Amino acid sequence: MMKKILLPLLLLMAASAFAQIEKVIPDAPSPVRFVVDLTGTLTADQQQTLEAKVKGYEDSTSTQIAVVLIPTTEGYEMVDYAVALGRKWGVGQKGKNNGIVFLIAKEDRKIFIAPGYGLEGAIPDITAKQIVDKIVLPNFKGNDFYGGIDQGIDALILAAKGEFVAPEDQNNGEGSEFSIFFFFIIFIIIFLARSKARHGGGHWTFGGSGSSWSSGGGGWSSSSSDSSSSFGGGSFGGGGAGGSW
Amino acid sequence: MKNLSLIIVIGLILLLGGCGCSGYNNMISLDQNVKKVWGNVQSEYQRRSDLVPNLVNTVKGVADFEKSTLTEVTNARARATQMTIDPANLTPENIAKFQEAQGQLSGALSRLLVSMEKYPELKATENFSSLQTQLEGTENRIKTARNDYNAAVQEYNTSVKRFPNNLLAGMFGFSEKGYFSADAGAEKAPSVDFTK
Repeated sequence: MMKKILLPLLLLMAASAFAQIEKVIPDAPSPVRFVVDLTGTLTADQQQTLEAKVKGYEDSTSTQIAVVLIPTTEGYEMVDYAVALGRKWGVGQKGKNNGIVFLIAKEDRKIFIAPGYGLEGAIPDITAKQIVDKIVLPNFKGNDFYGGIDQGIDALILAAKGEFVAPEDQNNGEGSEFSIFFFFIIFIIIFLARSKARHGGGHWTFGGSGSSWSSGGGGWSSSSSDSSSSFGGGSFGGGGAGGSW
Repeated sequence: MKNLSLIIVIGLILLLGGCGCSGYNNMISLDQNVKKVWGNVQSEYQRRSDLVPNLVNTVKGVADFEKSTLTEVTNARARATQMTIDPANLTPENIAKFQEAQGQLSGALSRLLVSMEKYPELKATENFSSLQTQLEGTENRIKTARNDYNAAVQEYNTSVKRFPNNLLAGMFGFSEKGYFSADAGAEKAPSVDFTK
């Protein structure tokens, strides 16, 4: 008897689980912004810098990275929250689904990086996990939220270009240290390339993929308001990885 | 006078026919949607099955690992991969069978992961932590695909059972489709927390 009542109830709960989580998720910012801090962690300057970085990246590749800081997921799992947010906002371009949700739940002390369907090839779970564990979390553990997010975005950009090297199938512990060293070198190269491009006004191409960091008054330093972006993708299937600090 | 009633009758037939057509078309598109998301469910479960040989090979290398746990996983995988459903046949019974077969693999996997805990040399390998991440990601995808499937089926079932579609549904063979039930016991996703 009990089972007869309970089973349909459970079925209904499973079916409507997605509809419920939608209500918890904040509405997409209008006009579109990519860095949304609902926790008051980042200063206005920091938000602007990150916004400019993500926006500049969207301008050159159309890939959208939504960085969202929330206090808590209200009991939902990080992956479910990130997927539902990506879908509700429509992160990514229509047809390409090249969006990434970089979710930080500060009070839960958890993060999750969820790439859309279009990026699951470029950012497999292992890569997302490496970025979380080796780049973002160490900064968060030292209470450097801005640094963690900033470097996390850099790593995601590298990964989306296929230039983030994740160590695989290594049977000793040295691999991870080597890879951190390797990322560090890459960061330095990028940093140099960027500042060179900014000062020299040149056009620096990085790697074989043909994308470039634009110079001078280009996308880099421009504020997010001068060309409008829009969300239109939103196809997320539960890929990605997370961690806690 | 005769003409008027004729017009009314024709009008009624057209109206009902129009309703029926749009209802029919609606059911067709909901049905297509269920089939589409079902494809995702199956391919995510397939993704998990594809990971199992890797996992088994990693463990095999360790001397004196409990053979029975490994055999159980291999057998459960074989049964789970055999169990495929024709998208035209997503009846509640078939879904329940499918879920049971996959649930057995979930159970066997989680037992394997628990016994792996006893081998620190296994946990230390990079290969192992990458398998762990892949398994976690796969379980997440399965969960998402199942939620999507249930939502699509709910929409479809509601439409099929509503008047006047229910009359048409019987006529054109739109039958109710099955849901995945909420995780309970063995069906629970294996815990892949190796940090303990």
